[in-house]
Amino acid sequence: MTRPEADTADTGHGPLVSVRGLRVAHRAAGFGGRPVTAVEDVSFDIGRGETFALVGESGCGKTTTARALLRLIDASAGTLRYDGRDLAALRGEALRRQRRRMQIVFQDPYTSLNPWHTVGDIVGEGLIVHGLARGDAAAARVGALLDEVGLPRDYVTRRPRDLSGGERQRVAIARALAVDPEFLVLDEAVSALDVTTQAQVLALIARLRDARHLTCLFIAHNLAVVQQVATTVAVMYRGRIVEQAPAHGLFARPRHPYTRALLDAVPVSDPRDRHTRVDLPPDAGAAPEPGCPFHPRCPHPAKDATCRAAAPPLQELEPGHLVACTKVTAAGL
Amino acid sequence: MTPLLAVENLRVAYLDRAGARTAVGGVSFAIEPGEIVALVGESGSGKSSVGLAIMGLLPDHARVAPGGAVRFEGRDLLATPEPQLRDIRGRRIGMVFQEPAAALNPVMRVGDQVAEVAIVHGERSTAAARARAVEMLNRVGLPDAERRYRAWPHELSGGMRQRVMLAIALLLRPALVIADEPTSALDVTVQAQVLRLLLELQRESGTAVLLITHDLGVVAETCSRALVMRGGQVVESAAVDDLFHAPQHAYTRELLAAMPRLERGP
Repeated sequence: MTRPEADTADTGHGPLVSVRGLRVAHRAAGFGGRPVTAVEDVSFDIGRGETFALVGESGCGKTTTARALLRLIDASAGTLRYDGRDLAALRGEALRRQRRRMQIVFQDPYTSLNPWHTVGDIVGEGLIVHGLARGDAAAARVGALLDEVGLPRDYVTRRPRDLSGGERQRVAIARALAVDPEFLVLDEAVSALDVTTQAQVLALIARLRDARHLTCLFIAHNLAVVQQVATTVAVMYRGRIVEQAPAHGLFARPRHPYTRALLDAVPVSDPRDRHTRVDLPPDAGAAPEPGCPFHPRCPHPAKDATCRAAAPPLQELEPGHLVACTKVTAAGL
Repeated sequence: MTPLLAVENLRVAYLDRAGARTAVGGVSFAIEPGEIVALVGESGSGKSSVGLAIMGLLPDHARVAPGGAVRFEGRDLLATPEPQLRDIRGRRIGMVFQEPAAALNPVMRVGDQVAEVAIVHGERSTAAARARAVEMLNRVGLPDAERRYRAWPHELSGGMRQRVMLAIALLLRPALVIADEPTSALDVTVQAQVLRLLLELQRESGTAVLLITHDLGVVAETCSRALVMRGGQVVESAAVDDLFHAPQHAYTRELLAAMPRLERGP
């Protein structure tokens, strides 16, 4: 199957995805809800074939960032480029064609699949909508996709309720791959699965990514899972990226105090490794302006008034390793 | 020493249109006073049904088969009538669930929900009950407990709500706490705090804990012994160190192999 043609000449070079100064603000729910900034000044590139992971705890803005990138929600500021083109400028048919190139798999296969549709309908819908195949050709394509995700072909007549959680997530992956995308967003795609199923689906994702040369944005809160698949990791805290690095560098030498606390909090995988942890104060909730978003909880010994004065910018400590902490960058650690 | 809790040949089935479906097929184990025991398994393994059966909180369409027993402090809970069970729950057995948002009353101030436990179990003075609630909320590390006494559950974060649940479960210093996925809905830094708190309170008051979880990391982090469940059966029971270093059952080995492990820096 051929990929959709690019409509400008300035494509095919540079990163596939480029985000600059992304800001997403919306109103809190309820009457008189105050504006909430979910994402603030987020910038990153995703190179072709890379698996870029956004990690962080609930409410940090990782899912909002992905949704803005897919144009499922509107950005308040910043630019989003895909293959050199400004995504915000796309309308109508051009946007529809762009959507074929970027697909998403959601966390919960119980709510993201239409319960009334058969597996065949769900996986084949994109083929019809994008005019890629019809009739027997579409059916053959759906069969091949089910092979690819490791489901028996006779599942086409089943409905989501007849399937286990892992099987549903395989259907969601087949649906995303049906339109032959080049960019795949996996938003907590294995988080709801049992551990043995999770390992299988994760292996499937890695295999498909390599076979199809996919570029991925992998969103997860489980750092051990991220470590298995990511090439680059960005850690978000309260709407901002606080550290970004090649995966091996981030896990081997985390620099930002929040990244360190986050890694330190992950339960040990061997009871012999039990250890005393950094005592991170509970998140009291109030947004600290205008300082570093982490300063009220920060355990860094050199923390001082400058941390309350301004949010520190991301600075490069070594090639590809960016940290938003003046105390860390000043010490060169 | 007699164990604090002895579960003997517990069998639970759920009735549906198709007939009876066995969820727990003959489970036996014991917990000593002060011990922290994990009940580990994947979804559908029957681990939560074991917890609910011990507490007498199985749904109406569940049936416990005759021939089993749940012995706790000298009586069989399966044969204990509901009014006496209600007294045991809260006073002798505390409970913590995965979703504190669902377990807390949404239209009652959180402090009153803690104080209510004292009142239901015999505290006559409202003022004394309130004082005990505030003291407990402080002990579980609820920031600014005096003021947050008057908060509604929706005004608290998930971690704070789970701290309130712990306060409710531990207020009357029960001999046993049954915690079903107590940290599974929490962020990892909050999970670490809540687990540490559970351990501190357990050490202070000598409470035994039955920790029901799918997460082997949580087991490695907190428990002294673990029971692995699959398909309604306990397939392996071992000290945690043995379980991780010399697993005997093929399924335990499969679980350990599938467990995502974070490789840390030097």
